[in-house]
Amino acid sequence: MSRIDCGENADLLLKFVAGRLDSEAQVRLNRHLEICPACREFAGGQKTVWDSLDAWEMAPVSPDFDRRLYARIQGEVSWWNRILAPFRPPQIRKGWPIAAAAWLVLVAGIVVVDRSIMVRPAPRKTSIQVESLRPDQAQNAIEDMEMLQEINGLVGPASAASKM
Amino acid sequence: MGGATAALDYDAELMLRVRGGDRMSFAALLDKHRSSVVHFLCRMVGNQAVAEELAQEVFLRVYRSRGSYAPTARFTTWLFRIATHTALNALRDGKHERANESLDAVSPDLPARQISDGRPSVEQSMVHRVRLEEVRRAVAALPAKQRAAVLMHKYEEMEYSHIASSLGCSESAVKSLLFRAYETLRARLAYMA
Repeated sequence: MSRIDCGENADLLLKFVAGRLDSEAQVRLNRHLEICPACREFAGGQKTVWDSLDAWEMAPVSPDFDRRLYARIQGEVSWWNRILAPFRPPQIRKGWPIAAAAWLVLVAGIVVVDRSIMVRPAPRKTSIQVESLRPDQAQNAIEDMEMLQEINGLVGPASAASKM
Repeated sequence: MGGATAALDYDAELMLRVRGGDRMSFAALLDKHRSSVVHFLCRMVGNQAVAEELAQEVFLRVYRSRGSYAPTARFTTWLFRIATHTALNALRDGKHERANESLDAVSPDLPARQISDGRPSVEQSMVHRVRLEEVRRAVAALPAKQRAAVLMHKYEEMEYSHIASSLGCSESAVKSLLFRAYETLRARLAYMA
């Protein structure tokens, strides 16, 4: 049996007091303790600490501990689900036809509205122009003719007399 | 040792099942480790209500981490690494002080001590409570890392290597922490011999 070196023995003594030594090492250490007051004192003090810590009992865990934990987990899962739902592959795959159909309807709607905007006002604008221009043009034309007749009437006799 | 290995494999296997979406396996892990985590945290922060709140955080983190869990270490080592970090953060932030019960007051949560004949005298009960209070004070006075090391060594019966992994330090650093902590406790509790 190897001799126990007191200087490097603290680890062995801690294990001895904790009951974590194999039987051979325990027998060896017991023999050493019989002849070594320093190690005996160390082991005695450590045994007191160990026994004191053993006496430190804990209250049982609250009965609703699990319920509270699962409520928090559930809350967290719901929260994540709400945020990540649009990015999850299975849901994307599931919602793809609906999204595609919605997209098509939207595009078709835009095209129809766009065409109606481009096509409808054009004839209206033209007809308005025609309707609004015709009376003006006619009025202007009548006025122009009247003015020309007046001018012709004023100019006509004087020029005839001067020719004579 | 064989039992410990089997337990290691079983816990890690349960956690891998949790990763696969099995909630029953999470319930089994919770059932197995609930008390040890709460009691470790209670001894760390000195308050049962705060300890339970922190333990909820610990198990919530375990659940959140299920997707990235890899059984590279023992499950309990991983669990106590989370618990230790949670406790050290709470102690650093002073979270435990909000509802900390006075060290002079005797906790109403503590079970009545049963002494030999089951009917302790008033004097025996008082002596026991005073001693218990002294133990609590002595442990609470240790630096947080020393305290965590002692609690894992004493109550969880963890090896130095596992404590080192939980505390994120070397095995020799753990030995040093433990020797200093036990030395302080021996000096403080010597009168109880």
